[in-house]
Amino acid sequence: MHPSFFNQLLLISQFELKRGFATRKGLLSIVTFGVVWYFILLYPLRFTADVLVEDNGSNQHFSFFDFIGFGSLQHWPIPEFGVFWHIALIIFPILSVTLAADQTCSDRERGTLRFILLRSSRNRLFFGRFIGVMIIQTLLICAAALSTLILVLTRDASLFTSALPNLLVITLNLIVAVLPFTAMMAALSATVKSARQATLWAILIWTFLAGIISGVAYYLPALSFFRLLIPGVQLAELTQLSGWQTLQLAYIPLLQSFILLAVGRWIMARQAL
Amino acid sequence: MSSPIIQCKQLNHVYSGNLALNNVNFELAAGEPIGLVGPNGAGKTTLLGILSGFLQPTSGTVSLFDHPPGAKQLIGKVSALPQDARLDPSFTITEQLVFYGRLQGLTNPQAILEASRVLEAVSLTEISHEKPGTLSHGMAKRVAIAQALIGKPALILLDEPTAGLDPINVRTVRTIIAEQSSATTFIISSHDLAELDRLCQRILLLEKGILQSEILGQNEQQAATRFITLQMENAPAGEVITKFKTITGVLQVTNPQKNEFIVEYNPALQAQMDLQLIQCINMSHWQYRQLSHGKSLEEKLFFSD
Repeated sequence: MHPSFFNQLLLISQFELKRGFATRKGLLSIVTFGVVWYFILLYPLRFTADVLVEDNGSNQHFSFFDFIGFGSLQHWPIPEFGVFWHIALIIFPILSVTLAADQTCSDRERGTLRFILLRSSRNRLFFGRFIGVMIIQTLLICAAALSTLILVLTRDASLFTSALPNLLVITLNLIVAVLPFTAMMAALSATVKSARQATLWAILIWTFLAGIISGVAYYLPALSFFRLLIPGVQLAELTQLSGWQTLQLAYIPLLQSFILLAVGRWIMARQAL
Repeated sequence: MSSPIIQCKQLNHVYSGNLALNNVNFELAAGEPIGLVGPNGAGKTTLLGILSGFLQPTSGTVSLFDHPPGAKQLIGKVSALPQDARLDPSFTITEQLVFYGRLQGLTNPQAILEASRVLEAVSLTEISHEKPGTLSHGMAKRVAIAQALIGKPALILLDEPTAGLDPINVRTVRTIIAEQSSATTFIISSHDLAELDRLCQRILLLEKGILQSEILGQNEQQAATRFITLQMENAPAGEVITKFKTITGVLQVTNPQKNEFIVEYNPALQAQMDLQLIQCINMSHWQYRQLSHGKSLEEKLFFSD
């Protein structure tokens, strides 16, 4: 009996999860993330939240937060989540560029992909790996969100019920925000020879794409819609939003992910292995 | 004749501006192992890559069991040992073989049993929980052959299965192929002509991307003239040729290499030519190392008229 498309997607993504959480290399990445997040939680996040709580509506510190682009913090009923939202919108896309860089490249260079493709199709492999990496990132986002919730509850346990909806919307937004970055890495990984190359190309392409499109849009405002092609273009605007408003811009990363995955699939289908 | 398991029609492949395969046409039926030979860069790996679905042909058509390479209908039916492909160093051998078995549609318990069976077939059960990085070259090659055996496929494409192996491992690989060839058709690409001579009844020769010839072992038995190849020990070549030519039925004696003689004879005139030659050697007080019927594969492929 031939395994179905979804059965193979499940098997391939499960194997990626195993790579992420049960191999030495995967565990090292997770532990490193854990340590970095611990310090973010302990210092910038807790410190800023403490300042905001002490501020207690006096707006004494908001000119400073406005100055550094964190003005929307005042709209978040739970300050910790406001800070988490701002920090996570930077941290997780960056994490995605490194964590999702090796979706197929090293396996292709080593020849391991050939063993898999004797039993599966290129589409199943490409999307299975993408889903696997997305699940790993989703779990990390959930872990970070839960750690922030614990920080909130240690300050005031009565905030639990009001905190949950906020936490849900942040988590959902962050998952959507990392989608186009993961899709971009899937496409790059299908092209280059190593994870390091994929990360470097991602930084270069993103920088030039952002620079060129922004430049063109400045002189020809009619072409400003091309800015929608830049992964993360909505992040700056997102930081100014709070609560369920943040989902207003979700169509941008979803559209970008769709386009980038189509490009990656096209590359993968034509790649000599 | 049974229906072909592989059909290639007007197959061309251009790689970096060079024609790696040039109008290759052939059909292969299931049965004894088939050899694929040719010099470096002749297109052997490209041909096997196309058959395995790793490469797309530039033009022409290929089908395996009436399906294009890489079709889902071929999962579990066609397998391969890709040249220089290595397993993932992060997982144990068993973890990866079980994963491959699952992808072929086996349940988890079935895949575990199958992983154990194929490792046993290549005599490597003791390394099942090792990671690929700890294996020697010979072991890694045998593990790669083991993955090709998962699910008992009907066709296995082996690209250089004995390259870089020591004689003991070469013998092990040969035994594996011989043991499995009753249920599986093997196509073996190799530079080791002696090895292919032992294993294969049928040989495909590729040169500069062109399929030069198909050698069929069984045809020799129906030929009007036959050959015997003799490896002698320090025998005087001129004298050997002169004496052999005096035997009834001998048509021609050649000396292609030092101490190697090829005797062409008419079996209708002398059916037991091997006995006649040994008698002649004995009477002349020469020594011989080996006598074999037919020409060596090297002679057939590269030095025949």
